[in-house]
Amino acid sequence: MKNILLKIKNLKVKSNGKEILKGVNLEIKRGEVQTLLGPNASGKSTLSQVILGNPKYKITGGEIFFRNKKITKFPPEKRIKLGLALAWQSPPAIKGVKLSQLLNKISPKGLNLSEGKELLEREINLDFSGGERKISELLQVLALKPKLVIFDEIDSGLDIKRLETVAKIIKKELVVKGVAILIITHSGQVLNFLKPHIVNVIIDGKIVCRAKKYKKVLATIKKYGYQKCKKCK
Amino acid sequence: MAIKNAKNVSKMPNFWQIDHKVKNIFGIPGVVVLSSPDAWDKFSWTRKFFEEKPKEGYFVWVKREVSFPLSTCITIASPKISQNLRNLLVIEKGIKAKANVVCNAKEKKLCGIHKAKGKLILKEGVSLEYNHLHQWGEKDFVSPDYEFILEKNSRLIYNYKNLLPPENLEFKTKILSKENASSNLNLVVNSLNSKVKLQESVILEGRNSQSIVRLRLVGREKSQIEAVSQIFAKAPSKGHLDCQGLMVDKTAKISLTPQLICHNKEARITHEASLGKISEEELTYLRMRGLTEKEATDLIVSGFLNI
Repeated sequence: MKNILLKIKNLKVKSNGKEILKGVNLEIKRGEVQTLLGPNASGKSTLSQVILGNPKYKITGGEIFFRNKKITKFPPEKRIKLGLALAWQSPPAIKGVKLSQLLNKISPKGLNLSEGKELLEREINLDFSGGERKISELLQVLALKPKLVIFDEIDSGLDIKRLETVAKIIKKELVVKGVAILIITHSGQVLNFLKPHIVNVIIDGKIVCRAKKYKKVLATIKKYGYQKCKKCK
Repeated sequence: MAIKNAKNVSKMPNFWQIDHKVKNIFGIPGVVVLSSPDAWDKFSWTRKFFEEKPKEGYFVWVKREVSFPLSTCITIASPKISQNLRNLLVIEKGIKAKANVVCNAKEKKLCGIHKAKGKLILKEGVSLEYNHLHQWGEKDFVSPDYEFILEKNSRLIYNYKNLLPPENLEFKTKILSKENASSNLNLVVNSLNSKVKLQESVILEGRNSQSIVRLRLVGREKSQIEAVSQIFAKAPSKGHLDCQGLMVDKTAKISLTPQLICHNKEARITHEASLGKISEEELTYLRMRGLTEKEATDLIVSGFLNI
């Protein structure tokens, strides 16, 4: 039990009256790299937002534990202080506020940057390209010094070279240092770089598969589509 | 706090009035600085701008270009002071200048009145950056009424910031633009427990004159803002109004009226206006970076006011 960082029990979530998560169970241990695969609109991003405490979503059942604390009703900032972090898939622009201002607020001592220096004096996410957004998210997440990071579609909008750079930073700054990671993806390209210990498949608001061999699961999805995973239920 | 910030903007003001007393006045070669009553007596040509003999206020006449910003500071430091200023700034042809103008109250609850009526004359080819900073107490009444006359080919950048609002603010600005003159107005008002009336009017009366007006209003607790922002095109000219208001508190009220008047078929004037609350998505995003709701709100507001 001590080794378990995040534990989600039978989580049910509604948004705008529609049930999106229909009883999700998930466990992530310290230092573990896991992935969550699923087709569009299966509930992947909702799950990540709910874990971080986005007040937009209504939890109708179940519980979330992080470092043995029940955080189901914690506000986002309290979850961040405990060591949770999320790199958004489509982060909003904050007009008039430079990325460096936000990074200074998160980490007043400053950051050792190898990437993204050119973004620091720009307004957060305003007119950023897809790749720039991912780098900006990564910088913010690193500044938080987290214990578990969820990357929501970190591979979308990145060319193969940029993806490799991002994966290298994640490895060097997080994985090697024992930070647990949950990679949400629907293409699976990033997994070849980060090699997850466990793969989860979510379909229609429920995790239907949890396996160790991500390559096998990816190959099955590639060959037969997510329909096959449904049958796996 | 107000005084400390005022000093940062202008360490040694060319003109500094505290309550009704001139504390500091100094001209420099090429720049005449006087109190307005003295200017009335000494230069008869100023009378057409003052209209009647002023009791207090400043006169700055820039006859030669200087390499550093000119500065003035009008302060209320005693309780229940009622200032009634007449100010005049005249810049001679072709000069490039920068002015930092501070009006403030030394303490929060002095219940002062600050009325200022001013004219700023930018002669042909002048380029002026005019930074106007207001920092008031919670019980003050403040009423500035300024008219800028932009002669041919002159340029004005006018930045007005009111970060510590008074209880009552009535703010009037009028810009008269002659041929080929241009102005950029950036007006920022942060309202808290205050009643604010803003009225700016840009009159494009010269051929090829142009103006961009950006208005940013923030409605915090128990504030009421009424803003009328007007561009009046009389000649072939261009103008744009960009008015935005942010409702930070549920007790705030903002009324925003962009007004375009066109009397010339070759003119093109446009506007965009919006009023609304802070985006929930932006708030949540910043909270997921560890900021409290208040810290996130303050950061978004500071960005909104950063024009």
